[in-house]
Amino acid sequence: MERLKKRFSLLSAIIDALIEPPETVGYPFTKLELPETYRGAIVIDPEKCTGCGLCVRDCPAQGLELVKKSRHEFKLIHYPARCAYCGQCSISCRRKAISHSNQLVGSTSNPEALVVVLKEKEDEEQG
Amino acid sequence: MQNRISIPIGPQHPLLKEPLSMMIDISGEKVLGGSMRLGYVHRGIERLAEQRNYIQNVLLIERVCGICSHVHTTTYCYAVEALLGIEIPPRAQYIRALMCELERIHSHLLWLGILAKHVGLETIFMHAWHDRESSLDIMEAISGGRVSHAANQIGGVSFNLDKAQAEMIRSTISNLRTQVEGLLNVIETEPALHARTQGVAPVSAEMIRQYCVVGPIARASGVDIDLRRDDPLPPYDQLEFKVITHADGDAWARTLVRAQETRESLNLCDTIMRDMPDGEVLVRAPRKVPPGEAIIRSEAPRGEVFYYLRSDGSENPARVKIRTPTLSALSMIPAQLAAIQVADIPVVLAGIDLCVACADR
Ligand code: SF4
Ligand code: SF4
Repeated sequence: MERLKKRFSLLSAIIDALIEPPETVGYPFTKLELPETYRGAIVIDPEKCTGCGLCVRDCPAQGLELVKKSRHEFKLIHYPARCAYCGQCSISCRRKAISHSNQLVGSTSNPEALVVVLKEKEDEEQG
Repeated sequence: MQNRISIPIGPQHPLLKEPLSMMIDISGEKVLGGSMRLGYVHRGIERLAEQRNYIQNVLLIERVCGICSHVHTTTYCYAVEALLGIEIPPRAQYIRALMCELERIHSHLLWLGILAKHVGLETIFMHAWHDRESSLDIMEAISGGRVSHAANQIGGVSFNLDKAQAEMIRSTISNLRTQVEGLLNVIETEPALHARTQGVAPVSAEMIRQYCVVGPIARASGVDIDLRRDDPLPPYDQLEFKVITHADGDAWARTLVRAQETRESLNLCDTIMRDMPDGEVLVRAPRKVPPGEAIIRSEAPRGEVFYYLRSDGSENPARVKIRTPTLSALSMIPAQLAAIQVADIPVVLAGIDLCVACADR
Protein backbone atom coordinates (compact mmCIF):
# COMPACT_ATOMS: atom_id res chain seq x y z
CA MET A 1 0.00 0.00 0.00
CA GLU A 2 2.79 2.37 1.05
CA ARG A 3 4.60 1.52 -2.17
CA LEU A 4 1.52 2.17 -4.24
CA LYS A 5 0.98 5.50 -2.52
CA LYS A 6 4.56 6.50 -3.21
CA ARG A 7 4.27 5.50 -6.85
CA PHE A 8 1.27 7.66 -7.45
CA SER A 9 2.54 10.63 -5.48
CA LEU A 10 3.29 12.48 -8.72
CA LEU A 11 -0.32 12.11 -9.74
CA SER A 12 -1.45 15.15 -7.75
CA ALA A 13 1.33 17.19 -9.36
CA ILE A 14 0.23 16.05 -12.79
CA ILE A 15 -3.40 17.00 -12.09
CA ASP A 16 -2.23 20.40 -10.81
CA ALA A 17 -0.26 20.85 -14.02
CA LEU A 18 -3.43 20.34 -16.03
CA ILE A 19 -5.22 23.15 -14.21
CA GLU A 20 -2.39 25.62 -13.70
CA PRO A 21 -1.43 28.10 -16.42
CA PRO A 22 1.86 27.38 -18.22
CA GLU A 23 5.10 28.26 -16.45
CA THR A 24 6.62 29.72 -19.59
CA VAL A 25 6.22 33.35 -20.64
CA GLY A 26 5.17 34.27 -24.15
CA TYR A 27 8.02 36.71 -24.57
CA PRO A 28 8.13 39.22 -26.36
CA PHE A 29 4.29 39.46 -26.33
CA THR A 30 4.12 39.13 -22.56
CA LYS A 31 6.27 41.26 -20.31
CA LEU A 32 9.22 39.41 -18.88
CA GLU A 33 9.60 39.98 -15.14
CA LEU A 34 13.27 40.18 -14.31
CA PRO A 35 14.54 40.36 -10.73
CA GLU A 36 15.73 43.74 -9.45
CA THR A 37 19.27 42.43 -9.22
CA TYR A 38 19.37 41.12 -12.80
CA ARG A 39 22.55 42.11 -14.61
CA GLY A 40 21.19 43.66 -17.80
CA ALA A 41 22.10 46.65 -19.95
CA ILE A 42 24.98 48.84 -18.76
CA VAL A 43 24.04 52.32 -17.55
CA ILE A 44 26.26 55.16 -16.43
CA ASP A 45 25.91 58.21 -14.26
CA PRO A 46 27.89 60.72 -16.34
CA GLU A 47 28.14 63.12 -13.39
CA LYS A 48 30.19 60.64 -11.41
CA CYS A 49 32.47 59.19 -14.10
CA THR A 50 35.92 60.76 -14.20
CA GLY A 51 37.42 58.60 -16.92
CA CYS A 52 39.84 56.87 -14.57
CA GLY A 53 39.68 53.65 -16.60
CA LEU A 54 39.49 51.19 -13.68
CA CYS A 55 36.42 49.55 -15.22
CA VAL A 56 38.23 49.13 -18.55
CA ARG A 57 41.24 47.52 -16.89
CA ASP A 58 39.25 44.79 -15.15
CA CYS A 59 36.72 44.07 -17.88
CA PRO A 60 37.40 40.47 -18.93
CA ALA A 61 35.68 40.74 -22.31
CA GLN A 62 37.00 44.02 -23.72
CA GLY A 63 33.48 45.34 -23.51
CA LEU A 64 34.62 48.84 -22.58
CA GLU A 65 37.04 51.20 -24.24
CA LEU A 66 38.46 54.47 -22.98
CA VAL A 67 39.65 56.81 -25.69
CA LYS A 68 41.79 59.59 -24.29
CA LYS A 69 42.26 62.57 -26.54
CA SER A 70 44.04 64.78 -24.06
CA ARG A 71 44.34 65.07 -20.29
CA HIS A 72 40.77 66.20 -19.83
CA GLU A 73 39.10 64.82 -22.93
CA PHE A 74 37.97 61.24 -22.98
CA LYS A 75 35.31 58.99 -24.39
CA LEU A 76 34.05 55.86 -22.61
CA ILE A 77 32.55 53.43 -25.11
CA HIS A 78 30.58 50.27 -24.36
CA TYR A 79 30.32 47.35 -26.80
CA PRO A 80 27.22 45.39 -25.76
CA ALA A 81 27.91 42.58 -28.22
CA ARG A 82 31.24 41.83 -26.51
CA CYS A 83 30.03 42.39 -22.97
CA ALA A 84 29.59 39.33 -20.78
CA TYR A 85 27.26 41.16 -18.35
CA CYS A 86 29.47 40.01 -15.52
CA GLY A 87 29.22 43.07 -13.30
CA GLN A 88 32.97 43.47 -12.85
CA CYS A 89 32.97 47.08 -14.11
CA SER A 90 30.44 48.14 -11.51
CA ILE A 91 32.51 46.51 -8.76
CA SER A 92 35.80 47.97 -10.00
CA CYS A 93 34.45 51.51 -10.32
CA ARG A 94 35.32 53.34 -7.10
CA ARG A 95 32.82 56.13 -7.81
CA LYS A 96 29.88 53.82 -8.42
CA ALA A 97 29.34 55.52 -11.78
CA ILE A 98 28.75 52.44 -13.90
CA SER A 99 26.14 49.77 -13.14
CA HIS A 100 23.63 47.33 -14.59
CA SER A 101 19.97 48.01 -15.15
CA ASN A 102 17.57 45.06 -15.12
CA GLN A 103 16.67 45.56 -18.77
CA LEU A 104 17.48 43.08 -21.52
CA VAL A 105 19.66 44.18 -24.42
CA GLY A 106 18.00 43.54 -27.77
CA SER A 107 19.62 41.07 -30.11
CA THR A 108 20.84 42.24 -33.48
CA SER A 109 22.61 41.02 -36.57
CA ASN A 110 24.60 44.22 -36.61
CA PRO A 111 26.64 44.47 -33.39
CA GLU A 112 28.01 47.88 -34.38
CA ALA A 113 24.51 49.35 -34.09
CA LEU A 114 24.43 48.60 -30.37
CA VAL A 115 27.65 50.43 -29.46
CA VAL A 116 27.01 53.26 -27.04
CA VAL A 117 29.21 56.14 -25.97
CA LEU A 118 28.62 56.12 -22.22
CA LYS A 119 30.34 59.41 -21.62
CA GLU A 120 32.11 61.91 -23.80
CA LYS A 121 33.97 64.74 -22.17
CA GLU A 122 35.32 67.63 -24.18
CA ASP A 123 37.89 69.99 -22.78
CA GLU A 124 35.88 72.85 -21.27
CA GLU A 125 38.63 75.43 -21.70
CA GLN A 126 38.67 74.91 -25.43
CA GLY A 127 34.95 75.22 -25.38
CA MET B 1 34.93 -11.53 -35.00
CA GLN B 2 31.92 -12.13 -37.18
CA ASN B 3 29.45 -9.30 -37.75
CA ARG B 4 31.51 -6.77 -35.91
CA ILE B 5 30.09 -3.32 -36.59
CA SER B 6 31.43 0.00 -35.40
CA ILE B 7 28.87 2.72 -34.79
CA PRO B 8 29.92 6.33 -34.36
CA ILE B 9 28.13 8.36 -31.70
CA GLY B 10 28.86 12.08 -31.54
CA PRO B 11 30.32 14.65 -31.50
CA GLN B 12 26.80 15.71 -32.47
CA HIS B 13 24.24 13.07 -31.73
CA PRO B 14 20.70 13.08 -30.31
CA LEU B 15 21.76 10.58 -27.67
CA LEU B 16 24.65 12.62 -26.37
CA LYS B 17 24.22 16.31 -25.68
CA GLU B 18 27.90 16.64 -24.93
CA PRO B 19 30.45 17.13 -27.71
CA LEU B 20 32.16 13.79 -27.37
CA SER B 21 32.92 11.39 -30.18
CA MET B 22 32.52 7.69 -29.43
CA MET B 23 33.16 4.71 -31.64
CA ILE B 24 31.27 1.74 -30.26
CA ASP B 25 31.91 -1.79 -31.51
CA ILE B 26 28.91 -4.06 -31.48
CA SER B 27 28.09 -7.57 -32.54
CA GLY B 28 24.35 -8.14 -32.76
CA GLU B 29 22.89 -6.68 -29.59
CA LYS B 30 26.11 -7.01 -27.62
CA VAL B 31 28.54 -4.18 -27.14
CA LEU B 32 32.13 -5.35 -27.46
CA GLY B 33 33.86 -2.16 -26.45
CA GLY B 34 34.42 1.40 -27.46
CA SER B 35 36.88 4.21 -27.87
CA MET B 36 36.49 7.96 -27.76
CA ARG B 37 37.88 11.24 -28.92
CA LEU B 38 37.91 14.35 -26.80
CA GLY B 39 38.81 17.97 -27.31
CA TYR B 40 35.89 19.39 -29.27
CA VAL B 41 35.31 22.13 -26.73
CA HIS B 42 38.90 22.82 -25.78
CA ARG B 43 39.14 26.57 -25.31
CA GLY B 44 42.60 26.84 -23.82
CA ILE B 45 41.31 28.38 -20.62
CA GLU B 46 44.43 27.52 -18.63
CA ARG B 47 46.59 29.37 -21.14
CA LEU B 48 44.16 32.27 -21.42
CA ALA B 49 44.25 32.61 -17.64
CA GLU B 50 47.98 33.33 -17.77
CA GLN B 51 47.31 36.34 -20.00
CA ARG B 52 44.70 37.96 -17.77
CA ASN B 53 44.86 39.46 -14.32
CA TYR B 54 43.55 37.67 -11.25
CA ILE B 55 40.28 39.61 -11.26
CA GLN B 56 39.51 38.97 -14.92
CA ASN B 57 40.30 35.30 -14.36
CA VAL B 58 37.42 34.88 -11.92
CA LEU B 59 35.06 35.57 -14.79
CA LEU B 60 37.05 33.52 -17.28
CA ILE B 61 37.12 30.50 -14.97
CA GLU B 62 33.38 30.76 -14.53
CA ARG B 63 33.20 29.70 -18.20
CA VAL B 64 34.96 26.38 -17.60
CA CYS B 65 31.61 24.79 -16.93
CA GLY B 66 28.06 25.88 -17.66
CA ILE B 67 26.51 23.83 -14.89
CA CYS B 68 28.91 24.04 -11.97
CA SER B 69 30.35 27.46 -12.77
CA HIS B 70 30.19 28.69 -9.19
CA VAL B 71 32.24 25.92 -7.62
CA HIS B 72 35.06 26.60 -10.08
CA THR B 73 35.28 30.27 -9.19
CA THR B 74 34.94 29.42 -5.49
CA THR B 75 37.91 27.07 -5.65
CA TYR B 76 39.93 29.55 -7.70
CA CYS B 77 39.15 32.42 -5.32
CA TYR B 78 40.09 30.38 -2.26
CA ALA B 79 43.39 29.57 -3.99
CA VAL B 80 44.13 33.24 -4.73
CA GLU B 81 43.10 34.19 -1.19
CA ALA B 82 45.44 31.52 0.18
CA LEU B 83 48.32 33.07 -1.79
CA LEU B 84 47.36 36.55 -0.61
CA GLY B 85 47.03 35.31 2.96
CA ILE B 86 43.62 36.90 3.45
CA GLU B 87 40.57 35.41 5.05
CA ILE B 88 37.16 36.32 3.71
CA PRO B 89 34.35 37.37 6.06
CA PRO B 90 32.28 34.47 7.50
CA ARG B 91 29.10 35.71 5.82
CA ALA B 92 30.81 35.53 2.43
CA GLN B 93 31.88 31.94 3.18
CA TYR B 94 28.27 31.02 3.91
CA ILE B 95 26.99 32.71 0.76
CA ARG B 96 29.58 30.84 -1.30
CA ALA B 97 28.48 27.55 0.27
CA LEU B 98 24.81 28.38 -0.29
CA MET B 99 25.47 28.94 -3.97
CA CYS B 100 27.48 25.70 -4.14
CA GLU B 101 24.58 23.73 -2.68
CA LEU B 102 21.99 25.38 -4.93
CA GLU B 103 24.24 24.50 -7.83
CA ARG B 104 24.44 20.89 -6.68
CA ILE B 105 20.64 20.70 -6.49
CA HIS B 106 20.31 22.15 -9.98
CA SER B 107 23.02 19.91 -11.41
CA HIS B 108 21.60 16.71 -9.89
CA LEU B 109 18.05 17.52 -10.99
CA LEU B 110 19.29 18.31 -14.49
CA TRP B 111 21.07 14.98 -14.58
CA LEU B 112 18.03 13.14 -13.24
CA GLY B 113 15.97 14.62 -16.07
CA ILE B 114 18.50 13.51 -18.66
CA LEU B 115 18.62 9.97 -17.30
CA ALA B 116 14.82 9.77 -17.15
CA LYS B 117 14.59 10.97 -20.75
CA HIS B 118 17.09 8.36 -21.89
CA VAL B 119 15.13 5.55 -20.28
CA GLY B 120 11.88 6.90 -21.72
CA LEU B 121 10.31 8.47 -18.64
CA GLU B 122 9.40 11.86 -20.05
CA THR B 123 7.21 12.79 -17.08
CA ILE B 124 10.09 12.52 -14.63
CA PHE B 125 12.22 14.51 -17.05
CA MET B 126 9.67 17.32 -17.20
CA HIS B 127 9.18 17.39 -13.43
CA ALA B 128 12.88 17.27 -12.62
CA TRP B 129 13.58 20.18 -14.95
CA HIS B 130 10.61 22.09 -13.64
CA ASP B 131 11.85 21.71 -10.07
CA ARG B 132 15.36 22.65 -11.10
CA GLU B 133 14.06 26.05 -12.21
CA SER B 134 13.40 26.94 -8.56
CA SER B 135 17.05 26.67 -7.64
CA LEU B 136 18.04 28.62 -10.76
CA ASP B 137 15.49 31.28 -9.84
CA ILE B 138 17.05 31.71 -6.41
CA MET B 139 20.52 32.01 -7.88
CA GLU B 140 19.33 34.53 -10.46
CA ALA B 141 17.48 36.60 -7.90
CA ILE B 142 20.42 36.87 -5.51
CA SER B 143 23.37 37.07 -7.90
CA GLY B 144 21.84 38.60 -11.02
CA GLY B 145 22.83 35.79 -13.40
CA ARG B 146 21.11 32.54 -14.16
CA VAL B 147 24.02 30.50 -15.46
CA SER B 148 27.06 32.71 -15.00
CA HIS B 149 26.40 34.02 -11.54
CA ALA B 150 29.56 36.12 -11.13
CA ALA B 151 28.99 35.72 -7.41
CA ASN B 152 32.61 35.41 -6.37
CA GLN B 153 35.16 38.14 -5.97
CA ILE B 154 38.67 37.78 -4.69
CA GLY B 155 38.07 38.68 -1.07
CA GLY B 156 34.46 37.61 -0.78
CA VAL B 157 31.27 37.72 -2.79
CA SER B 158 29.82 40.48 -4.91
CA PHE B 159 26.38 40.72 -3.28
CA ASN B 160 24.83 40.61 0.14
CA LEU B 161 21.47 39.12 1.10
CA ASP B 162 18.81 41.31 2.62
CA LYS B 163 15.90 40.15 4.78
CA ALA B 164 13.42 39.87 1.91
CA GLN B 165 15.84 37.78 -0.15
CA ALA B 166 16.57 35.49 2.80
CA GLU B 167 12.84 34.98 3.28
CA MET B 168 12.39 34.27 -0.44
CA ILE B 169 15.19 31.68 -0.32
CA ARG B 170 13.65 29.95 2.70
CA SER B 171 10.20 29.72 1.20
CA THR B 172 11.45 28.62 -2.25
CA ILE B 173 13.61 25.94 -0.65
CA SER B 174 10.66 24.71 1.36
CA ASN B 175 8.47 24.46 -1.78
CA LEU B 176 11.30 22.81 -3.66
CA ARG B 177 11.62 20.25 -0.89
CA THR B 178 7.98 19.21 -1.32
CA GLN B 179 8.49 18.85 -5.07
CA VAL B 180 11.76 16.95 -4.71
CA GLU B 181 10.28 14.58 -2.12
CA GLY B 182 7.48 13.76 -4.56
CA LEU B 183 10.01 13.11 -7.25
CA LEU B 184 12.15 10.93 -4.97
CA ASN B 185 9.10 8.87 -4.03
CA VAL B 186 8.48 8.12 -7.67
CA ILE B 187 12.10 7.34 -8.43
CA GLU B 188 12.43 4.97 -5.51
CA THR B 189 9.35 2.99 -6.49
CA GLU B 190 9.06 3.27 -10.27
CA PRO B 191 9.51 -0.28 -11.68
CA ALA B 192 10.37 0.96 -15.19
CA LEU B 193 13.32 2.93 -13.85
CA HIS B 194 14.46 -0.06 -11.78
CA ALA B 195 14.26 -2.38 -14.73
CA ARG B 196 16.32 -0.09 -16.95
CA THR B 197 19.03 0.75 -14.43
CA GLN B 198 19.39 -2.06 -11.91
CA GLY B 199 22.45 -4.19 -12.57
CA VAL B 200 23.49 -2.10 -15.59
CA ALA B 201 27.25 -1.59 -15.95
CA PRO B 202 28.23 -2.17 -12.33
CA VAL B 203 31.55 -0.69 -11.27
CA SER B 204 33.50 -2.13 -8.36
CA ALA B 205 35.22 -0.04 -5.72
CA GLU B 206 38.54 -1.39 -6.99
CA MET B 207 37.85 -0.13 -10.48
CA ILE B 208 36.92 3.27 -9.04
CA ARG B 209 40.30 3.48 -7.32
CA GLN B 210 42.11 2.23 -10.40
CA TYR B 211 40.63 4.96 -12.61
CA CYS B 212 40.74 7.60 -9.83
CA VAL B 213 37.03 8.27 -10.24
CA VAL B 214 35.50 10.72 -7.76
CA GLY B 215 32.18 12.16 -6.74
CA PRO B 216 28.75 10.52 -6.82
CA ILE B 217 29.96 7.70 -9.11
CA ALA B 218 32.60 6.71 -6.55
CA ARG B 219 30.11 7.00 -3.69
CA ALA B 220 27.63 4.82 -5.58
CA SER B 221 30.29 2.10 -5.63
CA GLY B 222 30.81 2.28 -1.89
CA VAL B 223 33.91 4.52 -1.92
CA ASP B 224 33.18 6.92 0.89
CA ILE B 225 34.81 10.15 -0.31
CA ASP B 226 33.44 13.65 -0.12
CA LEU B 227 35.74 16.64 0.12
CA ARG B 228 33.12 18.66 1.95
CA ARG B 229 33.81 16.34 4.87
CA ASP B 230 37.34 15.06 4.12
CA ASP B 231 39.09 18.34 3.31
CA PRO B 232 36.49 21.00 4.00
CA LEU B 233 36.68 24.55 2.80
CA PRO B 234 34.98 26.93 5.21
CA PRO B 235 32.16 26.84 6.30
CA TYR B 236 31.65 23.11 5.59
CA ASP B 237 33.73 22.26 8.66
CA GLN B 238 30.92 23.76 10.75
CA LEU B 239 28.01 22.19 8.89
CA GLU B 240 26.43 18.84 9.64
CA PHE B 241 25.47 16.67 6.71
CA LYS B 242 25.34 13.06 5.63
CA VAL B 243 27.56 11.64 2.92
CA ILE B 244 25.40 9.34 0.82
CA THR B 245 26.97 6.08 -0.30
CA HIS B 246 25.66 2.94 -1.90
CA ALA B 247 27.26 -0.47 -2.34
CA ASP B 248 26.00 -1.71 -5.71
CA GLY B 249 27.86 0.54 -8.15
CA ASP B 250 25.33 0.14 -10.96
CA ALA B 251 23.31 2.81 -12.75
CA TRP B 252 20.55 2.41 -10.17
CA ALA B 253 22.92 3.09 -7.28
CA ARG B 254 24.13 6.24 -9.04
CA THR B 255 20.56 7.41 -9.46
CA LEU B 256 19.81 6.87 -5.79
CA VAL B 257 23.00 8.53 -4.58
CA ARG B 258 22.38 11.66 -6.63
CA ALA B 259 18.69 11.79 -5.76
CA GLN B 260 19.41 11.50 -2.04
CA GLU B 261 22.24 14.02 -2.28
CA THR B 262 19.71 16.50 -3.64
CA ARG B 263 17.68 16.03 -0.48
CA GLU B 264 20.81 16.41 1.65
CA SER B 265 21.73 19.62 -0.18
CA LEU B 266 18.28 21.03 0.52
CA ASN B 267 18.87 20.34 4.22
CA LEU B 268 22.28 21.99 3.95
CA CYS B 269 20.70 25.09 2.38
CA ASP B 270 18.38 25.31 5.38
CA THR B 271 21.28 24.94 7.81
CA ILE B 272 23.29 27.57 5.95
CA MET B 273 20.39 30.02 6.00
CA ARG B 274 19.85 29.38 9.69
CA ASP B 275 23.49 29.73 10.74
CA MET B 276 24.54 32.50 8.38
CA PRO B 277 26.29 35.23 10.41
CA ASP B 278 25.75 38.92 9.75
CA GLY B 279 28.39 41.30 8.59
CA GLU B 280 30.50 42.28 5.62
CA VAL B 281 30.80 40.13 2.50
CA LEU B 282 33.85 41.58 0.81
CA VAL B 283 37.31 42.58 1.98
CA ARG B 284 39.72 44.54 -0.18
CA ALA B 285 42.30 42.34 -1.82
CA PRO B 286 45.58 43.59 -3.30
CA ARG B 287 45.90 43.33 -7.07
CA LYS B 288 49.42 41.92 -6.97
CA VAL B 289 49.75 38.43 -5.56
CA PRO B 290 53.00 37.47 -3.76
CA PRO B 291 55.05 34.69 -5.37
CA GLY B 292 54.10 31.20 -4.30
CA GLU B 293 51.97 28.16 -5.01
CA ALA B 294 48.55 27.13 -3.81
CA ILE B 295 46.48 23.99 -4.20
CA ILE B 296 42.79 24.00 -3.30
CA ARG B 297 40.29 21.21 -3.81
CA SER B 298 36.56 21.29 -3.44
CA GLU B 299 33.57 19.05 -4.01
CA ALA B 300 31.69 19.98 -7.18
CA PRO B 301 28.39 18.25 -8.07
CA ARG B 302 30.41 15.72 -10.10
CA GLY B 303 33.25 15.26 -7.63
CA GLU B 304 36.60 16.73 -6.80
CA VAL B 305 37.66 19.95 -8.51
CA PHE B 306 41.35 20.69 -8.16
CA TYR B 307 43.08 24.03 -8.69
CA TYR B 308 46.80 24.61 -8.74
CA LEU B 309 47.93 28.21 -8.86
CA ARG B 310 51.44 29.60 -9.20
CA SER B 311 52.20 33.25 -8.82
CA ASP B 312 55.37 35.08 -9.85
CA GLY B 313 54.45 38.24 -7.98
CA SER B 314 52.81 40.04 -10.87
CA GLU B 315 49.16 40.86 -11.61
CA ASN B 316 48.73 37.78 -13.79
CA PRO B 317 49.08 34.19 -12.57
CA ALA B 318 52.09 32.26 -13.89
CA ARG B 319 50.15 29.00 -14.08
CA VAL B 320 46.60 27.87 -13.45
CA LYS B 321 46.04 24.12 -13.57
CA ILE B 322 42.50 22.83 -13.40
CA ARG B 323 41.53 19.21 -12.90
CA THR B 324 37.88 18.38 -13.23
CA PRO B 325 36.03 15.25 -12.10
CA THR B 326 34.68 14.29 -15.53
CA LEU B 327 38.10 13.50 -16.92
CA SER B 328 38.60 10.39 -14.81
CA ALA B 329 34.98 9.32 -15.29
CA LEU B 330 35.47 9.53 -19.06
CA SER B 331 38.45 7.20 -18.94
CA MET B 332 36.22 4.56 -17.39
CA ILE B 333 33.62 4.58 -20.19
CA PRO B 334 35.29 2.00 -22.49
CA ALA B 335 35.58 -0.44 -19.60
CA GLN B 336 31.94 0.13 -18.67
CA LEU B 337 30.74 -0.38 -22.21
CA ALA B 338 32.25 -3.84 -22.51
CA ALA B 339 29.61 -6.58 -22.30
CA ILE B 340 26.44 -4.53 -22.09
CA GLN B 341 23.46 -4.50 -24.45
CA VAL B 342 23.13 -1.84 -27.15
CA ALA B 343 19.92 -0.59 -25.51
CA ASP B 344 21.86 0.16 -22.32
CA ILE B 345 24.37 2.51 -23.96
CA PRO B 346 22.28 5.62 -23.19
CA VAL B 347 21.90 4.55 -19.57
CA VAL B 348 25.66 4.10 -19.18
CA LEU B 349 26.51 7.40 -20.88
CA ALA B 350 23.81 9.35 -19.07
CA GLY B 351 24.56 7.63 -15.75
CA ILE B 352 28.03 9.10 -15.64
CA ASP B 353 26.78 12.70 -15.73
CA LEU B 354 29.38 13.85 -18.21
CA CYS B 355 30.52 17.41 -18.50
CA VAL B 356 32.84 17.42 -21.47
CA ALA B 357 33.28 21.20 -21.38
CA CYS B 358 34.83 20.79 -17.92
CA ALA B 359 37.11 17.99 -19.07
CA ASP B 360 38.28 19.82 -22.19
CA ARG B 361 38.55 23.29 -20.64
S1 SF4 C 1 32.86 54.29 -14.98
FE1 SF4 C 1 33.95 54.43 -13.04
S2 SF4 C 1 35.79 53.15 -13.32
FE2 SF4 C 1 34.94 53.54 -15.34
S3 SF4 C 1 36.05 55.33 -16.07
FE3 SF4 C 1 34.17 56.10 -15.12
S4 SF4 C 1 34.74 56.52 -12.99
FE4 SF4 C 1 36.37 55.23 -13.85
S1 SF4 D 1 29.69 43.78 -17.47
FE1 SF4 D 1 31.67 42.72 -17.52
S2 SF4 D 1 32.06 42.34 -19.70
FE2 SF4 D 1 30.45 43.92 -19.58
S3 SF4 D 1 31.55 45.86 -19.68
FE3 SF4 D 1 31.29 45.38 -17.50
S4 SF4 D 1 33.18 44.28 -16.95
FE4 SF4 D 1 33.06 44.30 -19.19
